[in-house]
Amino acid sequence: MDDRRQRFEALALPHMDAAYNLARWLSRSPVEADDIVQDAMLRAFRAFDGFRGGDIKAWLLTIVRNCWLSTVVGSRRRAHTSLEDQELLATDASPEDTAIQAGTQRRMDLLIAQLAPEFREVLILREMEDLSYREIAEITGTPIGTVMSRLARARTQLRESAKEFL
Amino acid sequence: MSCDHILTTQSYLDGQLDGAQIDAAERHLQTCAECQTFAAQTADLSDALRRTTRHQAPEFLRARVRAALKREAAPTKARAFWWGAASGGGASALAAALALFLFLPPSAAGLAEAIADAHARALTSGHTIMVASSNHHVVKPWLAAHAGISPPAADFAAQGFVLTGGRTDTIAGRRAAVSVYAHGNHELDLFTWVDKSGSLPQSATVRGFRTAFWKEGDLNFAAVSDVDQAAFQKFIALARE
Repeated sequence: MDDRRQRFEALALPHMDAAYNLARWLSRSPVEADDIVQDAMLRAFRAFDGFRGGDIKAWLLTIVRNCWLSTVVGSRRRAHTSLEDQELLATDASPEDTAIQAGTQRRMDLLIAQLAPEFREVLILREMEDLSYREIAEITGTPIGTVMSRLARARTQLRESAKEFL
Repeated sequence: MSCDHILTTQSYLDGQLDGAQIDAAERHLQTCAECQTFAAQTADLSDALRRTTRHQAPEFLRARVRAALKREAAPTKARAFWWGAASGGGASALAAALALFLFLPPSAAGLAEAIADAHARALTSGHTIMVASSNHHVVKPWLAAHAGISPPAADFAAQGFVLTGGRTDTIAGRRAAVSVYAHGNHELDLFTWVDKSGSLPQSATVRGFRTAFWKEGDLNFAAVSDVDQAAFQKFIALARE
């Protein structure tokens, strides 16, 4: 049987939501997020023999981030695709949300999307993926001190811009 | 932000410190108004961020990725089969079975027992609370620092459930944050721990303790108490809000 693929799937696929969430928040586009995740999963599978244990989630998210970076470089070369705010606003409100909750959620989503990428990524990795500073430093390839100061700035900016409804 | 300790306070709130560092951060937090404000604001922001969208991979994408992986693995698949057939397929089948077994979540039934046990153990030892406070701005960061999880830890005093503090515990080998509530003479424990996959048991009464389980994102929640059914349901409704 195909043992290597089975091992990879058992380890990596449970982190598909984390991979997708990061891809989606970085690219801010559902279509791009699909491609980034598929690309990342394939790259990870090819590199799987080089994975020496440790934290598979952080390893996968590093690859997701790299795939996103290469799409950014690629799309800058082609043409700049601008962000449609409606795209951000249109999705994911569950029916049981009250109107107010949904409103707050959408506004928060939009404010996060407007953060600069280097602030957005540390915030997503910390607050949504519950990763440690060390893991975030690994994924983003920055020193821990930078992670800490970016996180503080991301939070301050977000709090400032969300002041009237938080 | 002008306090030199603000990044340390943030590390404390994010559960990134240990041992003596935690004590030092807590001592500082008791005396620094700026860091207290920062802690309260960060806790509020964190609550708000929990309600923002954590995007989930769509089903079709999972299928697409699986198919792509299968195609990618296809060339070696035939060889692997013949190798297995030639050199005793039993070994690789066994390895695959073991790998699957290792990734199985702890049994759901065992979980209800474990929660009831943990609750009973805390009650009999009298150590139900490690940090005593009815202020969620105190309990929440304490749990974040000591359990590495930041659960909601909201106070429902107006509805008859008073937040009395928090402690840490171990559930299914994972660190859990426990928010402790008082309802009359009864105690309710709300366990929170991180588990991405794993199935949860149905609500059940285990050795006289009511238990209920639910999931929010990658956080598992379990409520356990010996209060009556009506109060228990009311508490769960509040906690799940």
